Amino acid sequence: MHASELETTEYGGASDNRMNSSAQPDLSIRLEQVGHRFGTRKVFSGIDLEVAAGQVCTVTGPNGSGKSTLLRIVAGLLAPSEGTVSVKANGQVRSADARRDFLGYVSPDLTLYKELSAAENLQFFGRLRGITLTRDDLIERLTQVGLRGRGRDLVGTYSSGMRQRLKYAFALLANPPILLLDEPTANLDVSGIAIVETIVAAQKSRAGGGLTIIATNEPRELEWGDMTVRVDAEA
Amino acid sequence: MTTFENAASETRVSWWQQTFALLAKDLKAELRTKVAISAVGVFTFASLLLLGLATAVLKEVPTIKLLGLSYPATLDQLLGKQQPAWDSPSKLGMLWVLFCFAAFAGLAHSFVHEEETNTVTALRLSMSAGAVYTGKLLFNLIVLLVIMLVVTPVYIAMTGMKIGSPFVFLAVMLSGGVCLAATATIIAALAAKAQGTGALYGALGLPLLLVFLLLLMNAAGTVYVENAPTLRIVKDVGGLFSFGVLIISMSAMLFHFVWEE
Repeated sequence: MHASELETTEYGGASDNRMNSSAQPDLSIRLEQVGHRFGTRKVFSGIDLEVAAGQVCTVTGPNGSGKSTLLRIVAGLLAPSEGTVSVKANGQVRSADARRDFLGYVSPDLTLYKELSAAENLQFFGRLRGITLTRDDLIERLTQVGLRGRGRDLVGTYSSGMRQRLKYAFALLANPPILLLDEPTANLDVSGIAIVETIVAAQKSRAGGGLTIIATNEPRELEWGDMTVRVDAEA
Repeated sequence: MTTFENAASETRVSWWQQTFALLAKDLKAELRTKVAISAVGVFTFASLLLLGLATAVLKEVPTIKLLGLSYPATLDQLLGKQQPAWDSPSKLGMLWVLFCFAAFAGLAHSFVHEEETNTVTALRLSMSAGAVYTGKLLFNLIVLLVIMLVVTPVYIAMTGMKIGSPFVFLAVMLSGGVCLAATATIIAALAAKAQGTGALYGALGLPLLLVFLLLLMNAAGTVYVENAPTLRIVKDVGGLFSFGVLIISMSAMLFHFVWEE
């Protein structure tokens, strides 16, 4: 299969339809028989997936099917109950902790500090990643997500759409080669959606190829994907 | 629109840089919101007021020491007409009981707030578990020391508590502060992860707190021993400090399992 082809694979039971792709060796995500349960409730199982540099994979499925859980597992924020997740970046397989240095994550369950301004948030998280942001850097990054002129405002005073935009500035802080986007255009207006579309396109065409996984049910966002994985909740 | 041509940097930031970044962020947020200081401060001063009212009738009464035991020195005391004595070791113990409750009322905020507002996800994506623990521990220690610095002189003025040997008193206060901050920090992390708040916090903290208070009472007794032997000071105050070091070491080793889901 080629990355340009739109492929759809359905999961929920223990189906085994692995995505093959023209994988580049230095950046890839590979899931083998991944499943997760919360207590006794099984969310999904038997997910096999391989995404390589330059590809956009969309994950779709009904509410509660585990799309967000799958993204948290890929991000290393949650350990899968079964199966293995292998994230290769710069040619090396990374542990759950180490892989976080190579990914940007946008999700409804991600929140930045409301008691700090947008600029303070970016400076803080930049410092944690060893990035010193000058005033010009901050302006550039806020402009990139359409928040120019609002950097000094406390995040607590932001609208939900502005907070969503700021999450993109946070996710792109370290120029990560992997982007994990859960409901990427939630709360965004038309211009916000255009920004996200540009970010996804830029990620795809970046030097060396970026990799994006999007969890969504929006038809427009599903069109961004080179491949689609459908996750159905276990009965 | 900027395109992203650079790959993510593999430069690892040292844990102490992350620790101080988190500490600076927490202090900035605290100075802005004053949530922890208010919680600890209000609790402490309310307790001080109640304590002052409740113990207004308690006075230190003179005693005669004979064969290592204290005996009533006045007839009124002997006949039970005078209120029982409230000596300095008891006062110091009461001060620490007050600090314990204040710490458990306010210091949980640092972790519980991160969980409740979901900022924990951004933190987990950006820094190591060890740096989070150290940053939160230092923040709690600073808040506690500030409260101790303000409350202790007020308490001494209110109750007339003697400080005995100043050096030993200072050592006990600092060691106790380290112990209490360490205990409160790890219990707060456990309670936050268990999605619990006050009640669970107290229940989880009780076993550690009991050991801490026993060691503290032991060390507090040494403060008021005249010309206490150096060995006793090292044993009692060192025991308290060692418990703090033990809690910090165990917490640092185990925090990863608390922090990660």
